[in-house]
Amino acid sequence: MSIQVEQISKTYGSFTALVDVSLTIASGELVALLGPSGSGKTTLLRLIAGLEAPNSGSILLHGEEATERSASKRGIGFVFQHYALFRHMTISENIAFGLRVQSRRLRPSRKEIRDRVRELLHLVQLDSYAGMYPEQLSGGQRQRVALARALAVRPSVLLLDEPFSALDAKVRKDLRDWLRRIHDELHVTTVLVTHDQEEALEVADRVAILNQGKLEQIGTPQSIYDNPASPFVYNFLGNVNLFHGRLLADLSSQGHSGATNESAQSAIGFVRPHELELSRDLPPDNKAVVATVARIHAAGPQIRLELNIAGNTRPVTAELSRKQFEELALVTGDELFVWPQSMRLFDDPKSEALLLDQGAGI
Amino acid sequence: MSGHRAISTSAMLRPSTAQKAGRVALILLALLLLSGFLVLPVIAVFTQALSQGWKMYRDSIHQEDVLSALRLTGLVACIAVPLNMAFGIAASWAITRFEFLGKSLLITLIDIPLAVSPVVAGLMYVEVFGLHGWLGPWLSEHNLHVIFAVPGIVLATVFVTFPFVARELIPFMQAQGSDEEVAAVVLGANGWSVFWRITLPNIKWALLYGTILAASRSIGEFGAVSVVSGHIRGQTTTLPLEVEMLYNEYNFTAAFAAASLLTLAAIVTLILKKLIEMTSGVHRHMDEKEVES
Repeated sequence: MSIQVEQISKTYGSFTALVDVSLTIASGELVALLGPSGSGKTTLLRLIAGLEAPNSGSILLHGEEATERSASKRGIGFVFQHYALFRHMTISENIAFGLRVQSRRLRPSRKEIRDRVRELLHLVQLDSYAGMYPEQLSGGQRQRVALARALAVRPSVLLLDEPFSALDAKVRKDLRDWLRRIHDELHVTTVLVTHDQEEALEVADRVAILNQGKLEQIGTPQSIYDNPASPFVYNFLGNVNLFHGRLLADLSSQGHSGATNESAQSAIGFVRPHELELSRDLPPDNKAVVATVARIHAAGPQIRLELNIAGNTRPVTAELSRKQFEELALVTGDELFVWPQSMRLFDDPKSEALLLDQGAGI
Repeated sequence: MSGHRAISTSAMLRPSTAQKAGRVALILLALLLLSGFLVLPVIAVFTQALSQGWKMYRDSIHQEDVLSALRLTGLVACIAVPLNMAFGIAASWAITRFEFLGKSLLITLIDIPLAVSPVVAGLMYVEVFGLHGWLGPWLSEHNLHVIFAVPGIVLATVFVTFPFVARELIPFMQAQGSDEEVAAVVLGANGWSVFWRITLPNIKWALLYGTILAASRSIGEFGAVSVVSGHIRGQTTTLPLEVEMLYNEYNFTAAFAAASLLTLAAIVTLILKKLIEMTSGVHRHMDEKEVES
């Protein structure tokens, strides 16, 4: 079932949660709503669920106007951040709840309910937990029960509100992969709210990035990672080095990637840590700055360096492979040359022109 | 620096002999005061009640007036307590689950009976329903008796016990949050089935706890009831009023015999309260919730 959100706005008193947001989610798609806290992503999810009413705009489910339809009649499954399992019911009773409260006309027979519960317990790999109570389960298991409970009524849309954020890192990663597999199996239209960019980029077919109640960008994980539409998106999708600087003629003519504004005097340059080149020797074109190694984080597949560059107040982060790290044989305090492979430029809204080393343009 | 602090802390935790002696003395003093203020009076009630022997005790209770007072007290509790359960649930549900205009006013109103002296509460009812009160003439025209009759006693008791259920439920329901109810709604449950299948099972122990407190207060209420009752023996006298009347008549044995019934009711309340705390963890549960969040 497709979801269309059309020019939705929502305010809570003087707080504006969403401004004129439009978004279309195709049937069977898994879309992540990504943003920092207070960006309006959860509000948008609750509006789609019918748990909140918008101030203006409309929501269409399967092409039908559904803005006024109550939450219990939208045919959705909702998974909460803190599971919201019924604590006085066993796991099977929890899963069966949605079927048991259906009107007598629609309610499946006792046997059908029992079979459906068994099937779902199997799907979430909790077959032997049927008679237990939620408090006897771990966080990850509880969230799987919550998912089974939501799926029991065969919803046409599955909405997940930061479902993994209360779990520890390892469990979160496992559940994320598992959610993707379940989605590939069932093809139910799914909207996932998260503040974890890694989670969004890994799981979703498309990612919608929200900031201060506005939709910043929507696209496939790769397209938004490679072509961030705004400094906010660039910043939000992983580590980034920021360089405030004045745009120099020779730099823009060199064809550095990015939406440069020729007339702008000052700009911000964004460089991802892995896009920084490091060398002991000055590169042939002389376009590099000297940096001092301040810290080395050597745990993990990539080595992360914190570098101090003269004239830059904040340290710069660079990432390099273990092999390259060993070749350079770096220790803390070493000096080396640094230059960006590529840099993306945006207008500097603050216009604090900081002229850095001319040679590198950073 | 930190090492130094650690040493001094452990020194504080390991008390010297003098400190130990001081501790024991303080504990003994507390026990002494506690028994002086609480235990001895309770014992005194029963000794006085049984001072003329078991038979006299039975006869004192088996007096028609005492029995009728006992019945009236029971009747009033049976009306006031369910009413308060219904009000309490409705008010807590509204306060913890919805945002509406005048919510803080409602919260304040619930607390009024705790702030106002019960005597004042009684006088308020006399002013409204009494013969010379606002509604008095109309009521007497229709031959309805509120003041100096059972309805007045029920009203006064309901007023005084009003906060008990709500005050027990509000913090409990706030701590539990509405997630489970929202989940039930999304799964297709209607309001009624959310209440019966989710809300009520979740609050049952807190509700029972508040109900027991309300029941105990409604049995023991004196001030408000005293003003509206009119002290008509055998008709509008509740057990606490009967105790006072017997006492004022210097009928000490009978007064203490009746008082021993109230004391027993209080002891039963305390035991039930403790049992609920132990089996349900009503109050323990709330603490855990706070630690989690």
